[in-house]
This record gives sequence, C-alpha cells and structure tokens, in this order.
Amino acid sequence: MKKLVFSLLMLMFLVGILAGCVSENTSGSSEEGSNDSGGEESSDDGEMNIAVVPKLVGIPYFNASETGAVQAGEELGVNVEYTGPTQADASAQVKVIEDLVSKNSDVIAVAPNDPASVEPVLKKAKDQGIKVMDWDTPADKELVDLSVKQVDDEEFGRHMAGKLVEAMGTEEGKIAILTGGLSAANLNLWIDAAKKEFDENYPDIEIVSEKIPTDEKQQVAYQKTLDLLKSYPDLKGVLAVSTPAPLGAAQAVQEKGLQDEVSVVGSALPNDSEPFLEDGSLDTAVLWNPKKLGYLTAALGKMLAGGEMPEDGQEIENVGEISVKDDGKTVIMGPPADFTKENAGDFDF
Amino acid sequence: MKLSKESILGLIALGTFLFMALLAPGFLSSNNINSMMFQIPEFGLLAIAMMVVIVTGGIDLSITYIAALAGVGAALMLTNGFGIFPAIIMAILFALACGAFNGFIVSKIGVSPILVTLGTMVLFEGVILAITKGSSISGFPDAYSLIGNGYYLGLVPFSIVIFAIFAIITGLLLSKTSWGRRVYMYGSNEVATLYSGVKNSKVLMKVYLYAALLAAISAIIMTSRYNSVKVDLGSSYLLQSVAAAVLGGTNIHGGYGKVIGTIYAVFVFQFIRNGLNLLGFHSSLVDVVIGSILILVLTMNFFSDKFKKKQEQKNASQAA
Repeated sequence: MKKLVFSLLMLMFLVGILAGCVSENTSGSSEEGSNDSGGEESSDDGEMNIAVVPKLVGIPYFNASETGAVQAGEELGVNVEYTGPTQADASAQVKVIEDLVSKNSDVIAVAPNDPASVEPVLKKAKDQGIKVMDWDTPADKELVDLSVKQVDDEEFGRHMAGKLVEAMGTEEGKIAILTGGLSAANLNLWIDAAKKEFDENYPDIEIVSEKIPTDEKQQVAYQKTLDLLKSYPDLKGVLAVSTPAPLGAAQAVQEKGLQDEVSVVGSALPNDSEPFLEDGSLDTAVLWNPKKLGYLTAALGKMLAGGEMPEDGQEIENVGEISVKDDGKTVIMGPPADFTKENAGDFDF
Repeated sequence: MKLSKESILGLIALGTFLFMALLAPGFLSSNNINSMMFQIPEFGLLAIAMMVVIVTGGIDLSITYIAALAGVGAALMLTNGFGIFPAIIMAILFALACGAFNGFIVSKIGVSPILVTLGTMVLFEGVILAITKGSSISGFPDAYSLIGNGYYLGLVPFSIVIFAIFAIITGLLLSKTSWGRRVYMYGSNEVATLYSGVKNSKVLMKVYLYAALLAAISAIIMTSRYNSVKVDLGSSYLLQSVAAAVLGGTNIHGGYGKVIGTIYAVFVFQFIRNGLNLLGFHSSLVDVVIGSILILVLTMNFFSDKFKKKQEQKNASQAA
C-alpha cells in the first residue's frame, strides 16, 4: 500500500511538472504542414464533400433523413457522406466528426447528441476552414454558420393544439397534457405555445393539471393516461408531447375502448402510430418529415460550401418554401406534417 | 524464431497501420495522426483498467459509469468555481468510492464480479441521473480543456503523455511489485494463492480500486476533451474495452494478460476504425469488420494454445 501511495504521489508531482508545458497548439511548423496537405487534398478531387452526421445510425428516423440527404447529393451533384455513431454516445459521435475533419470535408452538418460536447471539435473544424452547421438539434449558436430546424417551435405547439380541438369536435371540455420530461427545452416550448393557443382561441378548454412527465417511455405514458381516465371520467382530450407519449396514451384509450370519447393528439412517427391511428385511439400524429430534413440539410450544405446563404421565403426543390429567422442563419424547414389514418401507411419511418 | 502473443499482435497492429496508410487517403496526414493520438488515451486507459480486472478472472461492467460519475464529480467542482486541481481530486475520489464499493462486495462478500458490476453499473447510472437529471453539465474553464486538447511541448497531445505514463506504471505495478504477482496468481488459482498465505481480499480490493483510478483519469481526459459530461459519457467503450483486453491476449478466465498486448489491441481498433471512416465505410460496417477480426484472432489464439498443449503432452510422453 505504501508503494502505491508513493507512486501516486510521484505521479501527481510528474503531472504537475508536465502541465506547465501544455499549450493549445502544436508548434508552428507542424501546423503549417497540416494546412498545406489539407489544401492539396481538397483541390485534388474538385468535388464538394458534405458530411451529414446524425445522432446515431440505424434507427428509422435517421434512416429516413439519410435517404433524403443521399438523394440530395445525387440530384445536386455533390458528394454527401452520411455517417454517425452506432450508439447515441457523445464521445463516439465526436470521433466520427474528428475523422471527418481529417478527411477535409467542405461542410460538416451535425445533429449533436450533446451540444456542449461537440463544441471543441467544431471549433477545430472551423479553424481548418471547414464550414459547420447543425441540423435536427441545435448546437452552440455562436459556432455554427447555419442552423437547420425542422419546425418553428411556436407554430408546432399551436398547430398541435388546433389539431386536438379539431379532433375533439368541440371547443370546450377538459384536457390533459403529457410530456416526455419536465426539463426538455424543446418540449416545454411546444407546450407553452399550445397553452397560449388554448388561452387565446379556445378559452373554454380547461387543462386539468400541470403537464405530466412520462420519462420518454411509452409504458409510463400508458400508466399515467389510465390514471387520468380514472380521475377525470369526463376527460375530452390528451395532448401528448415527445414521440413515445402519444403511443402510450393511445394504448390506454384503446384498451378502455374510449376511442370516440377521448381524443389523443401528439408528436409521433407515422409507422409507430399506424396501429393506433387505424381505430381512432390516436387521432392525429404531428411531426415533420425527416427525409425532407435530410434533403434540406444537404442542399443547404451545398449552398454554404459555395459561399451562398439561404434567404427567407426561398424555394428549395423537393422541400418547399423555407423561412430564415432574423439572425440570418437559422433556417426553418416549414410547417409541421400531419400523419393521419389515411396517409400514415405511405411513409417509411 | 518464437514470437510471443503480444509481439504477433504488435506485428498485426503495424500491418493494419501500413495497410490503412496505403489504402485510406489522408491516413498519414499530420492532421489525422494527431486526431488519432487524441482519440487513443481515453479508450486505452479504460481498456487497461478492464485488463487488470480480467487478469483476476473478473470483469468490471460498471467501468464506464464509474468514469461518467467521476466526470460528474469533476464537472460539479468546476462549475461551482473550484480550480482544476480540486476538480481532478474530486473525480478521483468519486471513482475510488465506486471502486471500493465494487471491491468490497466482490472481495469481502464474495459475489461474482459480473453480477456485482452489472448491479453497480445500473446503480451508478441511477446516481448520475439523480445528480444531473439526465442533462449534460458543461462550461468548464479553458485551462481545463487543455488536458484533453492541449499539446505537450507543442509536439504531442498531452493526453497521450498521460496515457503513456499510466501504461508504464500499470506495467511496472503488475510485473515488478508483489501485488502484481499476486494478481496473476489469484487469476490462475485463487485457492492455491490463499493457501500460500496471500490475503486474497486485499489483492482484489486494490484491483478494483486501481481500475477505478484509471477510469477516473480517462474521465478527466474525456470531460476535458468534450467540455461536458452526461450520463452516457463513454458508454460505447464498455464492451470495446473488454474486446481490446481480450484481443490483447488477456485470458478471460484470468491469470494472464499484459499491458503492451492491450495497447496493441487498442491501436489495431483505432487504425481500423479511423481508416475505414476515412474510406467512407458505413459505421455499422466498421463494427462488422472489428467484430470479425476479434473472432478471427480469438479462434487463432484458441487453436495455437491447443496445439501448444498437444506438443507439450507429446514431449512429456516422449521424455517418459
């Protein structure tokens, strides 16, 4: 034990000495060398390389956006590489980005698992003259050249509220709100917008309790909805935010056979919701089209590499009209997409 | 000429390096070499930690969550205005506490390590979730980020220097100290070790503490490199580190394993992953390739061991 303690102390001491000599950059010569080799490579193939990094590969949502991004690459004549970690682990994602930086991509678009963890590597990419953007989930706003958002949060929340009222068929009654987690920033924005919509346009709608967290789990949402149905027999509607929550709520409604009495509207993927949409236990699933999001990301990547910036109201082929926020670099893809009984089968995500 | 398992693996590592250098564009660019050197330490430290535990015939499935919890410890200190040094100490303390917990249950109560660490894996994950509420802690001072992102003397990444130091220390501890010899003895035959007058529980306790210490160092490098910590920090390294230790020649039943073998294995993984990424392979294919190589090497090891045993038996019977 004494030896171990001694060697640890030695180590501390050593590290202390070492730490004094640590600097942020390599010494000048090697830095220049790396820049040179970078220049040569990118001029070699002449084609634009756009890298699109999802949170992880191999799940339906990101497979759909891959299809879109690759399609954009083929149609626009740019090299799109869609690569990401096989687990939603921030450190695995950073490695993928680091390799892309080594490869001298022209543009790197990232959907960060953890916005803070990609900051250092995005800085490194920028230092090497690579354009960086985020998509799906925002990264540090100061760092990125362009930020692609799927929907406007305010519009999305209000849209869901409107859909719920439509499904209930009445502008009065009791409703409940389920959410994925109390601290999820985007979910909270959506819920606040939905509440505003209820307050302003449908004052006779009563929200029975505070928003109810479901831990991003279908099972929990199912349980909480059962409890709600018991405590409020006259409940008219459930607004479920986060992708598993609407499924759980619909499952509860389905089990109780309350399809016609209780309306459920929420944000979910069409393939998951199809069984519930069919018998009306879920009335409408509202989300966006991830394939289009992938396409838009690649298309904007090409513009960015060519030194162009998108403009408000610009028409992007295969995507539609986009809007650009006042800061000039936040792009909103468009209005939310509704998935209903009629169209849910047409999508492959 | 006879080559040890480790030297063969070293040649394989060299081979993959040359292979990738020929095939993958930009593999040898100074940029890429640098980024590989930044990627190796965090994984290498976890792999060595795992190796030490496997040498005793155990396994530590909680290792990445120990690292994450240590990272949370450091992050809490840093975001509350403490300096870098207290933060590092706190990370190490958090990890040692976890290691002591594992070590206590394994060595004193005698539950099998795979069950204990499976339990503590979930336990530590829960503790981190309770502390962080699932979101990430970030925003560390710039000086802290130099640990994982800085260069030593402007030449090599500082983190790889730390990695080299700990690799050497681990090698020395295992081969030169009595504790190290006892670790190997315990791994090959714990009963015989006990009857040789060795306090097995003490040896085991130190093994889990040491693995936790290495996890803490890895966590410090990771948090500094990514400038944030989250519940799943480095979770993808868990099974990879077992794979690296085993590929490095460590006997999964205990009793044998060398630091240098594990390091070669880490290199092999790194070269393949990086090379295939540069070649534009899909990530899932990279996993397939690495999995295949692992199976291939393990099968080769198995048969060469069998062959050796047969030869020995032959020699023995001839002598008799």
